[in-house]
Amino acid sequence: MIDKKIDEARHEIRAQLEKTDAPREVLKSPLIKELYSLLPQLSQDEKAEAGKKINDFKNEILALVEEATTEHTSEVVHTLDVTAPWSPSSSTGEYDYLLPSSQGSIHPLTQEIEFICDIYRRMGFVVEESREIDDDYHMFTSLNFPEDHPARDDYDTFMTDEGLVAPAHTSTMQNRVLKKYAANLEKNEPIAVIVPDRVFRNEDLDATHEHTFYQIEGVFVGKNITVGNLIATLSAFMNEYFGQELKTKLQPFYFPFTEPSFEFAIERPEILRKDDSEEQKWLELLGCGMIHPNVLREAGLDPEVYSGFAWGNGIERMVMMKHGIEDVRHFESANLKFLRQF
Amino acid sequence: MKISLKSIKALNYLYETGFDPYDYTPEEIIQRIGLQLGAVESVEDRREWYQDAVAVKVVECVKHPNADKLSLCKVDDGGVHQHVDRDENGHVQVVCGAPNVSEGIFAVWLPPQSIVPSSRNDEQPFELDARELRGEMSNGMLASPKELALSDEHAGIMVLEDDGRYQDLEAGTPLYKLLDVDDVIIDLENKMFTHRPDCFGELGVARELSGIFGQQFSSPEWYKTPTIDNRTLATKKDSLPISTENYAADKVPRFMLQSVAGVEFGKSSYQAQLQLIKVGIKPINEIVDWTNYFMHMSGQPLHAYDYDKVAKLSSGEHAVVNTRMAEEGETLKLLNGKEITLTSDDIVIATDGKVIGLAGVMGGSETEVDENTKNIIIECGTFDMYAIRRTSMRHGLFTEAVTRFNKGQSPLQNDKVLSKITDWACGFAKGTLASPMYDSSNFDIQADNLNHVTVKLNFINSRLGTSLTFSEVKTMLENVEFIASYHHDDSPEDDPTMIVSAPFWRMDISIPEDIVEEVGRLYGYQNVPVVLPTRTTKPAPLNELRKYKTTLRDILTKIGANEVLTYSFVHGNLLKNVGINPDEASYHIRNAISPDLQYYRPSTLPSLLSKVNQNIRAYEGQPNNDFALFELGKAHVKGHTDSDEPSIPAQYRRISYVRAADNKTSKEYSNEAYYSVKSVIDAITNNQADYLELDTNSHPITSPFQLGRSAVVEIDGVVIGVVGEFRRDVAKSLKLPEYCAGFELDIELLKKHASLPTYSKLSQYPSTFQDITFEVDKDVQWGSLDRLLRAELLVADAEDNLIYNVSAGDIYIPESSDKKRVTFRVELASHVKTLQSSEVNSILDNIAKVAHERLEATRI
Repeated sequence: MIDKKIDEARHEIRAQLEKTDAPREVLKSPLIKELYSLLPQLSQDEKAEAGKKINDFKNEILALVEEATTEHTSEVVHTLDVTAPWSPSSSTGEYDYLLPSSQGSIHPLTQEIEFICDIYRRMGFVVEESREIDDDYHMFTSLNFPEDHPARDDYDTFMTDEGLVAPAHTSTMQNRVLKKYAANLEKNEPIAVIVPDRVFRNEDLDATHEHTFYQIEGVFVGKNITVGNLIATLSAFMNEYFGQELKTKLQPFYFPFTEPSFEFAIERPEILRKDDSEEQKWLELLGCGMIHPNVLREAGLDPEVYSGFAWGNGIERMVMMKHGIEDVRHFESANLKFLRQF
Repeated sequence: MKISLKSIKALNYLYETGFDPYDYTPEEIIQRIGLQLGAVESVEDRREWYQDAVAVKVVECVKHPNADKLSLCKVDDGGVHQHVDRDENGHVQVVCGAPNVSEGIFAVWLPPQSIVPSSRNDEQPFELDARELRGEMSNGMLASPKELALSDEHAGIMVLEDDGRYQDLEAGTPLYKLLDVDDVIIDLENKMFTHRPDCFGELGVARELSGIFGQQFSSPEWYKTPTIDNRTLATKKDSLPISTENYAADKVPRFMLQSVAGVEFGKSSYQAQLQLIKVGIKPINEIVDWTNYFMHMSGQPLHAYDYDKVAKLSSGEHAVVNTRMAEEGETLKLLNGKEITLTSDDIVIATDGKVIGLAGVMGGSETEVDENTKNIIIECGTFDMYAIRRTSMRHGLFTEAVTRFNKGQSPLQNDKVLSKITDWACGFAKGTLASPMYDSSNFDIQADNLNHVTVKLNFINSRLGTSLTFSEVKTMLENVEFIASYHHDDSPEDDPTMIVSAPFWRMDISIPEDIVEEVGRLYGYQNVPVVLPTRTTKPAPLNELRKYKTTLRDILTKIGANEVLTYSFVHGNLLKNVGINPDEASYHIRNAISPDLQYYRPSTLPSLLSKVNQNIRAYEGQPNNDFALFELGKAHVKGHTDSDEPSIPAQYRRISYVRAADNKTSKEYSNEAYYSVKSVIDAITNNQADYLELDTNSHPITSPFQLGRSAVVEIDGVVIGVVGEFRRDVAKSLKLPEYCAGFELDIELLKKHASLPTYSKLSQYPSTFQDITFEVDKDVQWGSLDRLLRAELLVADAEDNLIYNVSAGDIYIPESSDKKRVTFRVELASHVKTLQSSEVNSILDNIAKVAHERLEATRI
């Protein structure tokens, strides 16, 4: 009986393969599953034999599908002269159908990052890039996060099978940029770097949470750098960014890689306030602090001689506030109706 | 961490700490916490909640004439409430459904127009009124503890005498005079206290507040010095001895136990329950509640066992309570009813036969204290914060104890807290100490275990940007019970050094920066002078690569393309659909929340391709449904390592681009999509790219492309990327329209090899334009003619000092012919003279000759 069923299935599947453009789809055919479903009805002896037959049949189909797929892809195509500027059929010889240039757009996050970088560049900062895959050392250890430290709980980090991490903050570059620009200090120039780039948190998506987003990390290291310098630098940036003088506020916080650590808030510009409440008055924008001596030491800098500050903030929220964007998921949606508005 | 201002006030009352939060307004306290301690997550201001709740005497209680389960009550509120109907005796009628209402009791009455406290945080708080219930008037309600937001109890109304503490109750007494209900609860963000185990106790927070307001704080005497007098006495009695070994000493810095015999206890009083409920802890019974109360006060978690249950699980007559690492596969039934399987990385509390608790996380259900318990053991230990965190994560257990232990509680407070709670058990619970205080530690408890930090005053000022004096700093630190002294041996006149000794509960103080943080916070960062750093006028170096990316974006945007950003992670199916085997090519994410994020992308173009169909559909039916998407992103291929840092993967910076038009729009097009996309590469490479037929799909970057209709892009013989149309199976599975092509190029290679345009001097003499048409075999590539033409013109230029320019003209294949005709338009001029047509012809003739020799081309 099983032989007959297999024959029937073979016939049917071959027929399907003839017709289809997507040979792999055939593997989803219920026919194969049906064959397996016959097994429980058989006796123990029959079962073993029939099972083997079905498996053989399945392998046969797999081979056929492979073959069909190869055929399919190498199927006679009308080849092009890839070196030509246009095809012979286009006798007019034009690059036909250009897109209207007014239709082009730069992503709003890119625009924002450029806007922000421009301010920092004018303030004397160099811009560096981050990584999308890094090791635990740069993401955590070099930043004074001991193994199993509860501070790691705040970073829901994606990890690969190899134990590599998708950086949850662009501070993953801090150790590298401190080393790269260490020579500045000998020349009595500060290390002043910002790192705007993509970061990742293993979070569920909703209108205000993205697992992929952009962050700007900044570091400034020199001699006798103080908390007062930190406040002044960030305030100077904010005033330029918002185009007005704004009050600022530091709120003590904890990060393993800075001490002391703060959350930095500005007086929310009137235009962005929903009401007069105290909550609406302040806008928490970034985390910051004086770089922990262990972090400086790890980068080969003497914390007795040098001190500095670092900060990091997200980009999406700023852009959302600026344009009144209601859903953070728009950014990575590649939706032209969204993108063409910018 | 929730704190109650009433509890902090009570600490001052009980132990003379010197800090009463009611010296300030709650608003002031909240503001100063924000500035000088940490973020306030939320505030629950209950001050208005109990304005109208009063104690009333139920003077009459009869069955409701029209309802079996309701009682008709007359209550005496002492006449305090206005605007309510009263009978001739001045009593108020209330209908009550609780089973425990009876004549003579004192209950809590919420009059009409008052708001039920438990509904205060609801969207629409519930306002009571006077209304008929089954034909009888009911004014307001007699409230249950739950309705009063005082506990979860809802079985009956709150009967004030149940506590046994309100003998002299007077009808009409406001509830807030009987219980600390009119409180302000402040929820502080835990994150701030990651390094501050002491702030997971109200004592710690009270101390900080005191310091912030510049007041001297004094910890309770019992917290500073344990009351050990009666311990000696107990040793003699030793009626309930415990056999204990700290087998896991390297993970258990200190482990202390003491037994108490003959405890009498029941449910906690309303006041005691309230203290826990306000801060989010569920009351159980007096013993458990008091362990939780002391935990919430001191930050030190405690656990109570039923001595007899433990003894029963031990081999001998007496209780055995050891610490050890669990055996792989051992099981334990927890207090929450769940059974867990342990691993050898879990610290457990065990008898000599059985595991009875998951150390520092949760107790076991077999030894729990219940209403029949007579004898108890109280455990006060300290466990390795990292081990506790791992265990908590492994078993998904996040308890109050974990929150505290994983911050690293001080092992120097165990004896103090244990003494205090066993004292309490002997006093309030009428027990007697029944064993010595067992104390096992992995350090010398007699030694000086405090942290001393030597720091220069100038260091503090130079980090903060302040100019504080020695005595100012000393006062600030000593307000929160540090000891700061002058270092006589190392203190030049202008640069004093201080020795700062941290109190035992401060586990976070070890380096000078810790003192900077402490001083900064106590002084207030709002008071720090704000000064910009000085800088040189030297320009910051430019990031050339970023600048180049900006240029690429500008070019593509100008030609009407839209920049997109897509995820760096992709679903395995997308890769399979473009013919990439994800397990070979891609780094796999092992903890992705969604299958959409399974793999790092080994090339960036597939992400773009996956976004084509949605956009085609978005403009379905519209004219000119034609667009181009591009992205500058990174790709990582499994096994390719970074040349500078071999331990991490190489990152490829890619620019990918796709052009697509729906079938209706492209029907009008006479050209293949390939050519439009190729022209984009010509634009960004200044026409420097060469195109070689693609002959393999075996690399991730080449995988989606259709052989025969795709090309490898080279500049100066270096492969930059791939351009082309897509395989039919790819197009089918991603639902790409017929008119669709794209490219993916390496940005760094592009930048390196696509040189900037160079200027050639303009000629003063007129140019000659001349078309030249070749007929060649159909298979001869246009590019070889183009190359030949340019090469020959370059030779002519070298000889004659020419200016030349070649542009493409017609390409024509006569019907059913195996030849094609290719026209170029050549512009020629000289720097030294006006070219004669004979000179032009001779140059072109020469080119035609070479073309004939090399490509069998005939000039037409």
